Amino acid sequence: MANIACFVEKYNFSDQREAVALQNFQRTAQRMGHQFDFMFREDISKIPNYDAVFIRATTDPLFTSYVVSKTAWELGKKVVDDPESIQICGNKIHLYDLFEKHDVPHIPTVFMNKEDLHHKRLLEVFETLGKPIVVKAPYTSFSKYVEKVACETSFRDVAKRYFRKSDMLAVQTFMPTAFDWRVGVLNRQTLYVCKYMIPKGRWKHGAKRRGKPTFVWGRTVALKTENAPSKLKEVALKACDVIGKGLYGVDIKEFNGDYVVVEVNDNPSIYAGYEDSRNKDLYGKIIEYLVD
Amino acid sequence: MKPTAFLNSSIKDFTLNLNNDYRYLKTSYYVSTHAEVLGNHVIPSSESIIDASRTPILLLRASKAGIPTLRYVVTGSVKQIILELGFPLVVFAVNPFCYDGFIVAQNKSALYRAVKSLSMNYKFAVCAQPLKGQMISFKSFFGKCKIEGEVAKLSMRVFEVFKLPMCKLHVQTVGNEAYLCGLQPLRLEEISPADVEMVSQEVSRMSSKGEHLVG
Repeated sequence: MANIACFVEKYNFSDQREAVALQNFQRTAQRMGHQFDFMFREDISKIPNYDAVFIRATTDPLFTSYVVSKTAWELGKKVVDDPESIQICGNKIHLYDLFEKHDVPHIPTVFMNKEDLHHKRLLEVFETLGKPIVVKAPYTSFSKYVEKVACETSFRDVAKRYFRKSDMLAVQTFMPTAFDWRVGVLNRQTLYVCKYMIPKGRWKHGAKRRGKPTFVWGRTVALKTENAPSKLKEVALKACDVIGKGLYGVDIKEFNGDYVVVEVNDNPSIYAGYEDSRNKDLYGKIIEYLVD
Repeated sequence: MKPTAFLNSSIKDFTLNLNNDYRYLKTSYYVSTHAEVLGNHVIPSSESIIDASRTPILLLRASKAGIPTLRYVVTGSVKQIILELGFPLVVFAVNPFCYDGFIVAQNKSALYRAVKSLSMNYKFAVCAQPLKGQMISFKSFFGKCKIEGEVAKLSMRVFEVFKLPMCKLHVQTVGNEAYLCGLQPLRLEEISPADVEMVSQEVSRMSSKGEHLVG
């Protein structure tokens, strides 16, 4: 029997679908004979009492979740997501730099720093990547901090905003597709596959309503892993190989018959009735990995 | 070599990343990650850049390496801090935006104010440590500082563990003992010509071994 701590923040329970998924994790762990406790920020000092830590709060090297992950790691506990994965996936510049080195097929990307923000360089970028282009802050998550621009003025606007926090940003070719593939990977094996549909008239899975603070999300269509194209799974596993062997959600675009990686995320969303609808065993597999 | 030039290159050599501001998402961080992706040995590592500015991890890694530290509590709850540590206290931020300094709290109302401000209205956690002696802050270049005794030893040990060529250290002295409390980046204005001299001496000593300098 193992003691598992699941690090969560209050917002993890505000969405019913996520709250149910968290309960599923707890029930599955208990059924398998393990103890599964939710750990909040106040209980961080209790990490030494547990055998494994499973992080469900949003991860970023600057968030409390990284402190939890690194503390558990330093204490020799099994931890998902491990600090190195948070460090790499939390920063898209680092991620694409690794893809470049290891020849992982990914969307054509150009890095820019503050000194590159001048007319000549911008023209070059538009020439290489075409119009429109997608500007991405390194710390993007949940479709936020990714914007599409078609002219120099709006490019400068967006870039200036992102440069306030980061000294670099990524610029990518715009690839319109009806959906993005999402492949869940655990321990170098495919865990689940689904399609994140793009809402009508939008270009990304989660888009802000104009003039309103609310988001509109596309549907999630789950597939049985064995029914997903094998080339897709291959590309997803190759992308995860350069990062580590934890739990990842790989976003892949299918464009002209080719699969290109958009990004690899640590801490992928798992909502009851969505990612798990065709792969109910994903809860058990994750718990098994944690206690292994 | 300028950092931007290095970021566009693929030089494979030992890399010394010199910057006054080692922080996540800053140019210095990208220089270290790029060097690591290229497979270079780099000082400092990107992992150390992140860890050194997260106070709880700084203290955890330091104490594992045998550097004296005090007990700390990471939480967003004032009650828990009082219950576990009592007064007086020194409080550090654990949030993505605040890198400068700490607040000393002698009583409950001061602690409430400190936590509210450092946690950005209870959005993030804070890291509290007991205040047993005197807090001192000083500049450290390649582990060398202008203070002698235990503090100098501690400064050198911190450099050996995290390898940050330049930083400001917050240390607590209790009698003859020195305890590490926090670390923060240096502002450009804080670096005097004498400091630059010290750094360049250190660098020329190191570069005789042959390496790529980025800064």
